[in-house]
Amino acid sequence: MKINQQVIILHKTLIAVFGLLFCPSNAAAHLVTTGMGPVYDGIGHLLLTPEDLVPALAVALYAGLRGRAPGRRALFFFPLAWLLGGFIGLAADAMPTFPVSAFSFLLVGILIAADLRLPDNAFTVLAIAVGIMHGFFNGIALKAGPGGLGLLGIMFALFVLVAIVSAFVVSLKPPWTRIVVRVAGSWVAAMGLLMIGWFFRGQV
Amino acid sequence: MQRIAIIITLLFSAVFIGTVSGHESQPGSLEIKQLGPDRYDITWRAPIYYGKPHPAQLMLPDDWQTIGRPTERRRTDSIIFHRVVATGGKSIEGKIIRFPGLESTITDVFIRLTRLDDSVMSTVARPTKPWAELRGERPWHVTAGEYLGLGFHHILMGVDHLLFVLGLLLIVQGRMMLLKTITSFTVAHSITLAIATLGYAHAPLPPLNAAIALSILFLGPEVVRARRGETSLTIKFPWLVAFVFGLLHGFGFASGLSTTGMLKAELPWALLWFNVGVELGQLVFVFLALGLVWAFRTLEIRWPRWAQALPGYTVGSLGAYWTIQRTVILLGGF
Repeated sequence: MKINQQVIILHKTLIAVFGLLFCPSNAAAHLVTTGMGPVYDGIGHLLLTPEDLVPALAVALYAGLRGRAPGRRALFFFPLAWLLGGFIGLAADAMPTFPVSAFSFLLVGILIAADLRLPDNAFTVLAIAVGIMHGFFNGIALKAGPGGLGLLGIMFALFVLVAIVSAFVVSLKPPWTRIVVRVAGSWVAAMGLLMIGWFFRGQV
Repeated sequence: MQRIAIIITLLFSAVFIGTVSGHESQPGSLEIKQLGPDRYDITWRAPIYYGKPHPAQLMLPDDWQTIGRPTERRRTDSIIFHRVVATGGKSIEGKIIRFPGLESTITDVFIRLTRLDDSVMSTVARPTKPWAELRGERPWHVTAGEYLGLGFHHILMGVDHLLFVLGLLLIVQGRMMLLKTITSFTVAHSITLAIATLGYAHAPLPPLNAAIALSILFLGPEVVRARRGETSLTIKFPWLVAFVFGLLHGFGFASGLSTTGMLKAELPWALLWFNVGVELGQLVFVFLALGLVWAFRTLEIRWPRWAQALPGYTVGSLGAYWTIQRTVILLGGF
């Protein structure tokens, strides 16, 4: 298509659009409805729930420490596992009383802090296990509200988060930056320990 | 490739069709009108939330006494609670109105107090701050922060605006062109936002929403063309299309600002800070999208051909879906 023809089409479209805009009509008092509200709810749920956000960040940090290939594996397997766990959670009835998520804090935190080199397949299994577990709790939590669309929002947010964080860690060159990441991992592990400690003292 | 577009459109239709009338981002409102020295008329409009009554409740100060019987009226999109209260001769300055339950939602509540002398005070309660303080005058930074947050929130919650920006990002090649295009979109929507907010022009919402959807649909084929290495007016001059359609999106932003029922005296400030909030939200989104591209490059991800085509087809298909949906709404089909 030639540029002149495109200009004519654009011109006609604009005339039609602005013609419609200035047609007298009652303005309904509502904001745009896109049907994306539950997806946003899911994104908000992840970003405002440290119990989920911190382990997700930790998995991304660990994937980045391990390199590009584990980063790619985490990027695709972790959000998908979270979604799968979420759908299982949507079908489940009871919430486990034991703070299972504290163990993902502890486990992934220790792996980061110690900079342990897991084989690629073992890392994939870890990412899937953490994803399914947290997704399961999310599924139970979102059952009464946004449901499956909320889980899609969480998966989308996880994809963006894991991509950017793991790529950032992969791109770090000075040796001291690796130590900073490991220190962050030790804090995550400490949080996990505290959560488990509080549970056994009966305060959680 | 056309099949991909059809499949995506059908998929979105299937996933979102149940939520078409959900009004998920519809705000609540509280109107307080002074009737006498210590009498106030209270109207609390609680939007329907996921098909159920809104979880947020209205909690008035303890020393306010309800006079007569409160009423409750159900509408298709909300429940209107109405009552008259007496404040026992006390001033309402500094009183706190609470909305327990709001924190678990994504709803904002706009509060408007009209006094006997016709002076108006407005404020917003949010899920992160589910209460509002009634004050006649507020420091400028409080007002600025409120409108800045509103603008930021409006663009990031407006997935149609974001999808248009994403479409532009997928077409644009080179940093300078990106800068030109984003600046052009910003200038254009700032112009119509100001014009609409200051009352010089008015765009009715139903056709406006359909036109915004059309702008997204327009970009879909252009993204696919750009990926194939073809050229067009949009691909050569994306800043021009950004400017033209940016004018439309500005009217859309104005609808977000007009729902607040702002004070006339606050209008210039409201407009300025709302626009700053919109620009900040837009920048966050642009940097996030660029960050994602950088991350894919750093992680050396090789996307298959069909996956490379997916963003363009998603933009076009969603644009098509919303255009049809909003045109049907415009014609009174919903």
